[in-house]
Amino acid sequence: MKGTTLPVEKDLNQTLIDFLKKGLESGGFDAVLLPSRVPSGDSFAYLLIKNPSLLEEATPLPPVMPVQGAKAVSSLTQYGKTNQKILAAMRPCEIRAATELSKLKQAELENILFLSLDCPGALPLSDYLENPREKDKVFQEALENRKTESMRPVCQVCREFSTTTGDLHVGRWGAEKGRVFLISSSEQGKKIQETMGNQGDQSVDSWESKVKELKEQRLQERAQFHEDLKTKAGGPDKLLEFFNQCINCHNCMRACPVCYCRQCYFDSEAFDLPVDDFLKRAKKKGSLRLPTDTLLFQLGRMSHMVHSCVSCGTCEDACPMDIPVAQLFSLVADQTQKLFQYSPGRNREEPLPFSVYKEEEFHEVETPYRKTYSKGEGKNA
Amino acid sequence: MDPEFEPKIIGFLCNWCAYTGADLAGTSRMKMPPSIKVIRVMCSGRIDPLFVLRAFLRGADGIMMMGCHPGDCHYQKGNYNARRRYVMMQKMFETLNLDAERIGLWWVSASEASRYVKVTTEFNKRIEKKGPNPAQEEIFM
Repeated sequence: MKGTTLPVEKDLNQTLIDFLKKGLESGGFDAVLLPSRVPSGDSFAYLLIKNPSLLEEATPLPPVMPVQGAKAVSSLTQYGKTNQKILAAMRPCEIRAATELSKLKQAELENILFLSLDCPGALPLSDYLENPREKDKVFQEALENRKTESMRPVCQVCREFSTTTGDLHVGRWGAEKGRVFLISSSEQGKKIQETMGNQGDQSVDSWESKVKELKEQRLQERAQFHEDLKTKAGGPDKLLEFFNQCINCHNCMRACPVCYCRQCYFDSEAFDLPVDDFLKRAKKKGSLRLPTDTLLFQLGRMSHMVHSCVSCGTCEDACPMDIPVAQLFSLVADQTQKLFQYSPGRNREEPLPFSVYKEEEFHEVETPYRKTYSKGEGKNA
Repeated sequence: MDPEFEPKIIGFLCNWCAYTGADLAGTSRMKMPPSIKVIRVMCSGRIDPLFVLRAFLRGADGIMMMGCHPGDCHYQKGNYNARRRYVMMQKMFETLNLDAERIGLWWVSASEASRYVKVTTEFNKRIEKKGPNPAQEEIFM
């Protein structure tokens, strides 16, 4: 990959704003979609900005992720593709989720360009809301010192923090002091750089090698983290303990970017049962928890979307009971995605694992058929 | 092993192969375990992982998924899809350290009444050895 470098004078946000402003004015793109601080100052929302002067107020890299960017993109393109070029500045996990949504026909990404960045992680939302001003400082410090301790647990073990699935990527790693890389990761990204008059053909080898090194370290940490979690939440008793506080509010499902169904099975009439059914179950067990099926909701949701889970941690932020949902989902997601050599959001052309099949695969789970017959046990087998 | 224990097994059988096979076993008066409660689905590809999870968490001792042999699906590819879902479910159970052996997938054709009897008898034995599903006792599940 090739790119250019941008100067960082005040802070990274200002650098990004200057770049976006220049791009919007020079016609590299027609609108920008990016997070901005809400007027009350204690949270962030996505804004679709047409007026370059309003960019000054924006925060391309907010300390928290209250709304997953993929949801913003999806709501933008409900009625089909845009005719104007929109540049969306997002974290890598948000772009990957948007890619998954496009495969699920919930977003149309034509003419939407993505600007990703080396993500430092995000702070836990509930922590941030307690004291936004203080936490802004914590985030800024963590960004400068490249520390992750104060970030959300799933962010600390994220392996896709520098994934370049978009068109442009801002690389912090391996850059000289006071500069960041601006890498073109697609043809369209290159075109934007050309339109803006950037020399987009400089080498970014130092970024690539640093990312590789960090990624290896992260992968080890992630494996260890998942191993610990497995002992903490594995088995029916511990799993039940893990989800015991669940109040069945379905916030995780609503906040999740890839949980896209208009009518969720768990909100459907499938659970509206006559009282006799509950009484029968209560009689069998001695008593019955109401509302029923909280664990079924969690595991059922998992079975439906886990191959598209990008481990963005939005579900965990949304949980009012602070259940570490995202951690468990990322554990299972890693395992099940590996089965199909699938990585969500890696490539727009890569089909979803459940939309395709191969004739010759997974024979190990089948009870042998031909073998039984060839052994001569076939007559009555 | 409790000699009194009679498992409750839910069988999701595809209409075109497994269900017909089971039907043939019945009309042929073959001896088979009475513990299997059959739910007919139009295709093994219709078996949502949720059906299996719901049965499992509600206390079914075992869950059988049966469909046509690969290449024989009435809808061309439903059983291939079922196989992918099943593999995912197995991995999920394994990762969460739940008892994946209580779930199984078999291909049984419409003429294979004897195979139906064989696999159900074997699975029934497997579950008898395992004993009841612990989810039956969990009040907070």
